[in-house]
Amino acid sequence: MATDRKAEVTWRGDLMSGNGRVDSVTSGAFGGLDVSWAARSEEPNGLTSPEELIAAAHAACFSMALSGGLAKEGHAPEELKTSATVTFQPGEGVTKIVIDVAGRVPGMDDAAFKQAAEQAKENCPVSKALAGVPEISLTARLQG
Amino acid sequence: MSRVQREANVTWEGNVARGSGSISGATGAFTNLPYSLATRIEKPDGKTSPEELLAAAHAACYAMSLAGELAAAGSAPDHVDVRAVVTLDQVEDGSHRIVASELLARARVTGINEADLQEVAEVASKGCTLSKLIEASAKVTVNAQLEGGS
Repeated sequence: MATDRKAEVTWRGDLMSGNGRVDSVTSGAFGGLDVSWAARSEEPNGLTSPEELIAAAHAACFSMALSGGLAKEGHAPEELKTSATVTFQPGEGVTKIVIDVAGRVPGMDDAAFKQAAEQAKENCPVSKALAGVPEISLTARLQG
Repeated sequence: MSRVQREANVTWEGNVARGSGSISGATGAFTNLPYSLATRIEKPDGKTSPEELLAAAHAACYAMSLAGELAAAGSAPDHVDVRAVVTLDQVEDGSHRIVASELLARARVTGINEADLQEVAEVASKGCTLSKLIEASAKVTVNAQLEGGS
C-alpha cells in the first residue's frame, strides 16, 4: 500500500531577502518552521533548512531500518542513537552525508553491528532516494 | 560560498514493529518528534515520518529555488505556496521505496503568464538540490499555477 506524506511551504519575496515557512505537514507533528536563504547558507540562528530536514529524514529512516535488520538476526536493540550530518555547498547541492550510530544491543559483537549498520545505510528508503549524494559515510559502534 | 553542515539526531528504542523513535534538529527548530513503523506506513496519528520530513525538505528547497528563478526572470513573487507530496510504496521484492515526490506551486506574481510560469517552475526544479537527488530514483513532477490572475 502506498503512503503519501505532504508538506506545505509559503515563501514571500525573492530568494536573498525573502523568507519562508514550513506551514504544515500531513501528520501535524510540526509546523510554522521559518526558513531563509541566509539561515540556510550561513549561521542557522535557530532556523531549520532543507538540509536539516534531510538529516532528520535520513537519521530516522536509517535507525528504523537498522532496528529491523538487528531484530531479524535475533538482536533487537535496546537503544540506537543516530546522528546524520548533511553538507550543503551553495551552488552545487548536497555533497556529503555522514551517519553516526551508537547502539546498545545485547549479545551482539562490534563487527556484526557494523555490518548490520552498513546494510541499513544501503537499503533504507531515504538512502535509496538520496543515492545521488556523492559521499554517504557511516561510523557505527556499540556502547556499554 | 562556504560549505554548510546541518545535523539531526535520532534515538530509537526497541524492535522495528513495536519500538519507537524520536527526532530532533540540531538548530532546535524541531525537537523530540516521535515516530514509529505503524505511523510511517499506515495512519500517521499525529506522528511524523522520514517521508514527511523529506516532503518538508523538498517543499522548502523548491520554494527557495522558485523564488530565485522568478526574480532572475524579472518577476520577483509576492509569495509562493509550495506543496510537496512524497509517496512511499512497496516494490516487487517486498521492500519499501520512495517512488515519487509531486510538487505543486501557486505563485502570486505579476508580469508572467501561466505558460512561462510553468517553464520557470521546471527550471527551478532542476536548480533544487533535492529534486536532482530524488529524480535519480523516483519521479519528480512539477505543476505551477498563478494565484489570483496575472
